[in-house]
Amino acid sequence: MNFEDKSWSREPKLMRQLWAVIKYELLWNIRKKKFLGVLIVAFAITTLNLTLPVILRRTYDMPIESNPNYIVSNSGIGGLMLFLFALVTVMNSISGEFESGTIVPLLTKPISRTLILIGKIAAAFITIFAAYLLLYTYMIVGGTIIYGPQNNLDLTPLCILGDLLSTFVWVSIILALGSLTKNTILTSVIAIMVFLAMNIGSSIISVFTESAWMLHYLPGNGAAGYIKVEGQPTAYAGSISTGTDNITKMIIQYYLHPSANVTYVKVELRGGSPQGGLSSLLKELYSEPLSLVLFRAISVAAAYIIALITLAWYIFKRAQILE
Amino acid sequence: MGPKPLDLAIETIDLTKRYGSLVAVNRLNLRVGKGTIHGFLGPNGAGKTTTIKILVGLLKPDGGRAIVLGEEVHGDNPRSRLKIGYMPELPKFPRHLKGWELLDIYGQMYGMPLQERRTRIKRLMELVGLKGRENDLIGEYSKGMQQRLGIAQALLSEPELVILDEPSLGLDPVGMVEVREIIREIAREGVTVFLSSHLLSEVEQVCTHISIIHRGVCLAEGPLKDIISKISGSAILEVEVAETPDKIVEAVKRLPFVSNIHVEGSRVIIETNANGDVRPQISRAIIEAGGTIIYMNLRMRSLEETFMRLIMKSR
Repeated sequence: MNFEDKSWSREPKLMRQLWAVIKYELLWNIRKKKFLGVLIVAFAITTLNLTLPVILRRTYDMPIESNPNYIVSNSGIGGLMLFLFALVTVMNSISGEFESGTIVPLLTKPISRTLILIGKIAAAFITIFAAYLLLYTYMIVGGTIIYGPQNNLDLTPLCILGDLLSTFVWVSIILALGSLTKNTILTSVIAIMVFLAMNIGSSIISVFTESAWMLHYLPGNGAAGYIKVEGQPTAYAGSISTGTDNITKMIIQYYLHPSANVTYVKVELRGGSPQGGLSSLLKELYSEPLSLVLFRAISVAAAYIIALITLAWYIFKRAQILE
Repeated sequence: MGPKPLDLAIETIDLTKRYGSLVAVNRLNLRVGKGTIHGFLGPNGAGKTTTIKILVGLLKPDGGRAIVLGEEVHGDNPRSRLKIGYMPELPKFPRHLKGWELLDIYGQMYGMPLQERRTRIKRLMELVGLKGRENDLIGEYSKGMQQRLGIAQALLSEPELVILDEPSLGLDPVGMVEVREIIREIAREGVTVFLSSHLLSEVEQVCTHISIIHRGVCLAEGPLKDIISKISGSAILEVEVAETPDKIVEAVKRLPFVSNIHVEGSRVIIETNANGDVRPQISRAIIEAGGTIIYMNLRMRSLEETFMRLIMKSR
């Protein structure tokens, strides 16, 4: 074979190189059994969510009523699923390459480490975006068939964007851990521990202490509060969690009640009266506009994503391949 | 005078790499001429793989410089890797990709256009004996097949310099012969091959030049034959004579190219440092001294002897 008949220039274009990394990573993502498993679970949960009320009503011979707000009240992928999608997509994006040794041929190609990391993040974004798009489409089609025409479907792109932002907080945490440990099991265990600590811890802090404010700045579920809408007869329009995992739900609430406030409460175990019921145990701490809560959650999410991806990039860029 | 800097494919100047208190590469000065097949030899832990990893940007040196095809290797500099094809020792590739998918993606990273990639991948798969297996997942490849894929990806971008770290490791004897043939073929096209190998016979068969390193220091560098003759002498002549060899030894010793001589019974072992075939001169000297030659065998010094001699000397 002739090694001298090269007819192409040795000036690779950045976009072509970026697309090569994205393809490399995308093919990995879509062939991961773990990813397919989580996608199937997400579809199963959505199916259950869609059909369980119908099955129950059929069981008790009750008519199936149309619900034009079904989609808007069920939008937002749950915190656990957000975390699982992030985990299975990027848990071995960096650490797996180091563990298996595939990083060696990859890093010796004429492509910068920065571009490799950007490509991997872009592939994670495309993978998760495609999964969410499928899930939302399935939910909208199913919801429309079962519960009739739906209101506020124009919110769907924003909902997907909100879920992606929430997921990418976990993606960035896992990528930073992967860069630091270069070990997939360790990365996964630490990420799961962080997720559990954020969810269990935030519930305890939120319900039993007056320090719920600190949860606004941590990833996860955040602080629990109630939405108060001026002029409405009922005191509370619904409950809400203010963490980075709940951006989509906050977007919907803000869309429905732009001037609403969020009131934070804590449980006073000794303060209640038997006549007052559960509400007498709740002590209002403080209120703030929902717009501020949403803006803060988006800012905190963005700050985490930027800071942790920068950390992952810094470590990845400086990593030396010893083995 | 060695090759000029412009004629060098690889040049290291006082290259140093430390792992804690261990100096893996110690002020290494390496010069690999363009168009050569350069063997890079050394015992385990000599610093060969560390040096190669610095050359391809996987490790950062603690001191000195490394210049590859005129590009300074420093930090994450993709330009310095543009014209290099590198095959690591026991290469590992993503198990989820198919053979051709991997080469296609790597080709894109080099900026190769689609048509060029298709043609090239097809030819390379044939060359390394993976034709018909290109659509299989790499996870289904054997160790030897991954090794072959490693060679294919190293040659993918039509590199000017190919760095091969133990290319025959994990291959069967047929595969080893094929690898040697591929190395010769790419060298014929003017590609520089920098080859690290433990198989001294392989190096001896394919390399034109060698560098021997030990404890991170270069012990010898230059054309293979020159190094062998310089370190070990050119050849050994084994002569069996009918008579007592004392008189013959005296006569042979007087020859200017004889470096050492010793007797084992009726056999005389003569070490020479001449470049040509000296059998006629030795025969004449023995006969003139009244000897009768029963048997004569010329044995060229092997790389293995030279290598062992150098390493033992440096211990």
